[in-house]
Amino acid sequence: MKDEVLIDIKDVKKHFPLSKKWFAEKKYVKAVDGVSFSIKKGETFGLVGESGCGKSTTGRLINGLIKADSGEIKFKGKNLANISEKDWKKYRKPMQMVFQDPYASLSPRLKVKDILSEPLKIHYPKMPNDEKKKLVTELMDKCGISEFHLEKYPHEFSGGQRQRIGIARSLILRPELIIADEPVSALDVSIQSQILNLMKDLQEEFGLTYLFISHDLSVVEHISDRVGVMYLGNLVEIARKRQIFEDPKHPYTQALLSSIPQPDPKKKRETIVLTGEIPSAANPPSGCKFHTRCPAAMEICRKIVPELKQLGREQYTACHLY
Amino acid sequence: MNHILQVNNLQTAFKTDKGMQTVVHGISFHVDKGEIVGIVGESGCGKSVTSLSIMRLLHDTPGKITGGQVIYNDHDLLRLPESSMKGYRGKELAMIFQEPMTSLNPVLKIGKQLREPIQLHLKMSKADAAEHAVKVLESVGIPRAKDIMEEYPHQLSGGMRQRVMIAMAISCKPSLLIADEPTTALDVTIQAQILSLMKEIQKENDMGILMITHDLGVVAEVCNRVIVMYAGRVVEETTVELLFENPKHPYTKGLIASVPKIGSGSKRLHSIPGTVPSPTNMPTGCKFAPRCKDVMDFCHTEEPGLIEEDGHSCRCWLYQDQRQGAMTE
Repeated sequence: MKDEVLIDIKDVKKHFPLSKKWFAEKKYVKAVDGVSFSIKKGETFGLVGESGCGKSTTGRLINGLIKADSGEIKFKGKNLANISEKDWKKYRKPMQMVFQDPYASLSPRLKVKDILSEPLKIHYPKMPNDEKKKLVTELMDKCGISEFHLEKYPHEFSGGQRQRIGIARSLILRPELIIADEPVSALDVSIQSQILNLMKDLQEEFGLTYLFISHDLSVVEHISDRVGVMYLGNLVEIARKRQIFEDPKHPYTQALLSSIPQPDPKKKRETIVLTGEIPSAANPPSGCKFHTRCPAAMEICRKIVPELKQLGREQYTACHLY
Repeated sequence: MNHILQVNNLQTAFKTDKGMQTVVHGISFHVDKGEIVGIVGESGCGKSVTSLSIMRLLHDTPGKITGGQVIYNDHDLLRLPESSMKGYRGKELAMIFQEPMTSLNPVLKIGKQLREPIQLHLKMSKADAAEHAVKVLESVGIPRAKDIMEEYPHQLSGGMRQRVMIAMAISCKPSLLIADEPTTALDVTIQAQILSLMKEIQKENDMGILMITHDLGVVAEVCNRVIVMYAGRVVEETTVELLFENPKHPYTKGLIASVPKIGSGSKRLHSIPGTVPSPTNMPTGCKFAPRCKDVMDFCHTEEPGLIEEDGHSCRCWLYQDQRQGAMTE
């Protein structure tokens, strides 16, 4: 069971046009530039990277909020890349999203009970109201919001509670995959840990698969089974969590790991401070996109794009060093 | 006293529908020369209001300082007329804000924004100020500083803008720098650059830095001494080593345990139940009592004082004799 592949994406690309003028020179932001990975049923796949690396776009491509330019996106073996908008409705049901901003992602004009029962109305139009209410109440209870809050509006809740509502909404249709895009980034640490624990409990209870998108490596380490590291639209490393954090291979992963300030003043580790800025995705460097900031850059890196290469069991790195 | 900044019993209140609500409740601390002091706490604990109060930058907000002293070089900044406060702000005390996009003026060239405080405070001519500005930009690691003087803030990346902010803040060689979440909006690799830059600048100029942050990792990395705030009060204060080695207050302990640490695996995270109380609905007694795992009956009725022992202050009944505390109340 554990090895059943739920999501399998191959060489997915999404380039956003920069100018819509007719005769202007065609320029593109290469947000996602050939990304491939798969997620097995029941696991948590963490996607990390800095702003603009394409991790959120990847999440949105998977559940069809934006359409890929090329490549395959398979959900349980079915290629979703070319299906019609009508069919999407069927496929979005088993994959739901949790968004970063618990303030912007809940409609301010709907009561909590309406926010939660709306998906039911759309997907099960014939479901009687009291059954809907029962489902909503049960789920809210599991997410730690008591029944008497159901009549309230989102603005009456704190950020952490709102994120609980967002999570409950994503679960109401009993999905198999949850795409969580920075679900805890807007929260304080003490609340962040409540939400992370909740997500783990729910995963166990409902047998969920998570695609967990975050810029925060410590959070990703905590929740994930496998991790993919993205840089400027490409995956530079995929491995089991332990391998990524104990023996990172790609120089970018190494630098990223060493940059995280650790809450331990005695652990004075060598921080690899990367020089330079993250290049723009509209005009990425040639060859390996990381070569402009890489401490180990060689001549070849400037010219040839490295492919993802298998280094160990389940460890893949795109770097000319290996 | 050799403290560059001494804050005594500072109180700040905000005007709300329900009258004035005190959000900073008589906090006291000091910053010494060449020292980085961190103020940590979660959103709404009053850490940013504290920094704005010190700089007297509350006039655009419904906030008002209602008591206390902010002593800088033997002068109480709170008693100065606004005109002389202007002589301090930017020259003696400078500030870096979290959002480098919103805190730079979008319609003025970087050069003009940088020159302004230099011309004003160091009484330099336009040409000299420009030359000085380029030097400062170079010192914060900005490549092609001369070109950047002619550019607008939107042309720069987030990390570059924060460097410009830092350059602006240190251009008049202040002796105290207040940094309010200076790296929160930045990516980790850029955060690492900015933090190491700030440490460097601090050493070079022997400044004092008051670092306001919610990130315990940042505190551990750069601070010498830490003040933990909760609900507008200081709940713990000590050196950074002691704080992480032997945190006393249950809130500090919970906060440290809540942070996922690299290499600690997927163990269940510690979490503090409940949320920060709102200023309109403060519990009586210890403000942390409703969320505290070591709570005692007494905590709900009486608020503990901030008691210092061997350079480690803590506001908690666990470390104080209750009856003795009650008698001195």
